[in-house]
Amino acid sequence: MDDLLGDFVAETRETLEALSGEIVAWELAPDDRSRLDAIFRFVHTVKGSCGFLDLPRLEKLSHAAEDVLADVRADRRRPDSGLVSAVLAVIDRIAELTDAIEDGRFIADADDARLIQALQPGTAPAPAIIPAPSTLDDDVAELAQALDAIQAANDGADDENEVVVVADVAAPQVDRPVTSAPATPRVVSRTIRLPVDLLDRMMAGVSDMVLARNELARRLRESGTESNTEVAFERLSQCIAEMRDSITRTRMARVEHLFTALPRMVRDISAELGKIVQLEIDGGDVELDREMIEMIRDPLTHIVRNAIDHGIELPEVRVLAGKSMAGRLHVSARQVGNQILIEVIDDGRGIDADRLVQKAIASGILGQERAATLSWERKLELIFEPGLSTAQQVTAISGRGVGMDVVRANVERIGGLVDVESRPGQGLRLTLRVPLTLTIIPALTISAGGQHFAIPRSAIDEIVRVGGDAVRMATLGGADIVFIRGTRVPVVSLNKVLGLSETSAQANLVVLKLSGGARYALAVEAVHDHEELVVKPAAPVVMACGIYGGTTLPDNSRPMLLLDVAGVAEKAGVRHDEKGAAETVVEDNDVDQDEKGTVPVLLFRDLDGIERGVPLALVERIEDCFSTSVSTTAGRMRLNIDGRLVPLVSCGAPIIEPKIRVLRMRDGGEELAYAIDIVIDIVPVAIELQRSTVPGPVSGVMLVEDRPVEFIDAFWLFAQGLGIEPAPAQRPICLLSDEDPWTRQVLAPLVESAGYKIIYSQDTGVAADLVIIADGTASEPTEAGAVLRLRQNAEERGGSPNSLWRYDRIGLTAELRRHWNKRSA
Amino acid sequence: MNDLYLIVEIAGQRALLPAACVESVVEIEDIAPVPSAPPHVFGLFALRSRVLTVIDTIAALGAGRSCDGEKQAVIVHVDGHLYGILVDDVDDVVQIDGVPAHPRAPLSAGWARYSNGVLDHDGEPMLLIDVAAMIAGPIDIAA
Repeated sequence: MDDLLGDFVAETRETLEALSGEIVAWELAPDDRSRLDAIFRFVHTVKGSCGFLDLPRLEKLSHAAEDVLADVRADRRRPDSGLVSAVLAVIDRIAELTDAIEDGRFIADADDARLIQALQPGTAPAPAIIPAPSTLDDDVAELAQALDAIQAANDGADDENEVVVVADVAAPQVDRPVTSAPATPRVVSRTIRLPVDLLDRMMAGVSDMVLARNELARRLRESGTESNTEVAFERLSQCIAEMRDSITRTRMARVEHLFTALPRMVRDISAELGKIVQLEIDGGDVELDREMIEMIRDPLTHIVRNAIDHGIELPEVRVLAGKSMAGRLHVSARQVGNQILIEVIDDGRGIDADRLVQKAIASGILGQERAATLSWERKLELIFEPGLSTAQQVTAISGRGVGMDVVRANVERIGGLVDVESRPGQGLRLTLRVPLTLTIIPALTISAGGQHFAIPRSAIDEIVRVGGDAVRMATLGGADIVFIRGTRVPVVSLNKVLGLSETSAQANLVVLKLSGGARYALAVEAVHDHEELVVKPAAPVVMACGIYGGTTLPDNSRPMLLLDVAGVAEKAGVRHDEKGAAETVVEDNDVDQDEKGTVPVLLFRDLDGIERGVPLALVERIEDCFSTSVSTTAGRMRLNIDGRLVPLVSCGAPIIEPKIRVLRMRDGGEELAYAIDIVIDIVPVAIELQRSTVPGPVSGVMLVEDRPVEFIDAFWLFAQGLGIEPAPAQRPICLLSDEDPWTRQVLAPLVESAGYKIIYSQDTGVAADLVIIADGTASEPTEAGAVLRLRQNAEERGGSPNSLWRYDRIGLTAELRRHWNKRSA
Repeated sequence: MNDLYLIVEIAGQRALLPAACVESVVEIEDIAPVPSAPPHVFGLFALRSRVLTVIDTIAALGAGRSCDGEKQAVIVHVDGHLYGILVDDVDDVVQIDGVPAHPRAPLSAGWARYSNGVLDHDGEPMLLIDVAAMIAGPIDIAA
């Protein structure tokens, strides 16, 4: 409804602007018929819209003005100056209220009656004149005129091709006194109309700008520039990114546009079928690319039709089944990450997967033996098979062969997925997952046959290398398969699919997921980079290959093709045959892992050659970077990733290679990169560490596959990377009075790890918060607040009463903490 | 009818392209191939940050395949997509009045599919190329 209101406000304001000249002219020459007509049309249009939009105040005002003007037009009244100013006052009030609607302000309506009263002839409060009811013919004529007025106001522009852009002009936040004075300064108009064409051109311009930026980035990297050029370039990148963001947003429209047609459609279809359907719509304010909205309009329509036709039962059947007479149909949209989820849930009979299977067997799509092995979910997936419908008979509404297969194909074409979930007798849930925007997608670049290709990131499950026990290749009846951590996944050779000669080894496997959770591994020669790519549709003759999703221009300005993950699977023939088998194994495996309490751990060789591990959940992605994009600024290493500076942490070993590999990690909010040498493997591990005693990059060590592996301390890492660790100056100071090797090597690290800064001699002039001395030392520090004595022996023999044995770790730590807390308090 | 046409040479044959759809003529090289595409799709080429699909006219005519290296291409706009039509040579833009006539001669299979008739220019008959058909390529692939 908000959009309609916005349209109304924009339209009314436009007409008002166009009319302002007319109003003045009319004031000068009240007899001018054409001016009168224009004003009449305006109030008439407003009246009509208000009735529709449920704005009673505006309606009352415009209605009163319209009546008076109708009288004038019919020569029942003379337009004297009193009448003219009364009408103008009403029009001013309409303008004021329109602005108020937009700002959500309230204007007292006590005045309205006076304004309306002023329209009446004479000054005496005469009873309201009830206008002679206009005949039907008049109404039709008025309607036509009103339409003309709208047309004229739009300057002949094609309505269909225009959008109302809500510009973010900050409205003055002054608390205006509530007045009816027409002189009140008008709020700056916050919406403008733009042709979609112009937006598209802007978008194309920004896309080209991104490409030019990428090109420049490459050149800069190659030439090894000075840092100030880089800073300027970074600023440029930032600006472009921001601009791209805001322009992308102008292309966004609320999903509501998609939903507005539903109530009427549901009403018509349910009436035709004699069903009662209660429609609930949620999340209409979620925003989505305009083009995307058009792309999912048909699939959504189809799904809703299906839900009413096949899903929701006739009222009497529902009552027999113990359900309410009216079927519930819930359509909702929400944003999850960079995807939009559109759900259609009905409480109808659901889909009987077993009946689907019978039909599939009957129509020869599925073999009898194969059917027996399918899980419930796999069986449900059969609704996406072409030529399969559960409808007993073909009705006018659905079941005409345009089936769910088309829906799925359409959704997948725009990079989306369709999930289905059914509980027989209780209902069905269909979920469409679509990306936010069509034009710019994050992608992974890979190569096959010496040529680069892009794969949408959204389709990638993981990337593995063949080798080791975790990833093992095998053949099964001529088909290549791979075992990834015990899961069987079909392998598709990209070279083979593309018809390239299989010369070089394809040791890299990109595991891709399809709709419904099926997976396959795409064997490629090399995996290169993550990039944000501007994807444009390829020529039809290229799209006809069925394996490409579009073209893009990466940094090197050599066109690259985006692979259509589903298309490749289709061409390789994995879709129907392999997924069931692969999935059953996956499911079993998941259960196993849960029982053992293991988590996937990424093993890698660190820069210093030591094998380390980190829980995979912390790693967002693994990336190769040029070491030239590493800079030491503001006292720490930073990495330039896509024009942003991300803290770079390493184990301390110098970065020598021209290319470095980093783990990009995120703790939910903050981001950092950890430099490593190479990734070894991802293995499920039940983490049981031998904890390290010193805070540092390593939290502990444990045996993984019989090798000692140090585990990265994520807490320390983020504290380091983000500079949260308290600066040395803020730490309490501990004076160690002895300087023997034991104190320095053994005691000091422990004290330091408890958060103290250590000094060794009183000379520095710094007052120590705590002094640790060996028991028996005579010299007693005077000004120090607290003293902790350590004795040589475990037994309290000959020592001071409150001294501690120097290996009493627990006691020591407790003491240190106690003093630390005291100091902090 | 009086229209502008571009005289080009394709596979040793002089022919006409309607100038209305021609954007420019460029030298192109380093074309990225499109694996598993029909043979007449030579590859993709970036022209000022726009990707165009390069159509190999020789392959479309069923006469082998254009060699690699630098070539001339006529950039045309068809249905919102940019294409580069590979040509041997580009001659001139001419104005020819009149309606394309039937060739009245049995053309080779390729030319029959891609021509819209014959136009006379200074006494020389030349085939008018149907750009959309040329892009769609041989029928069996388009189907």
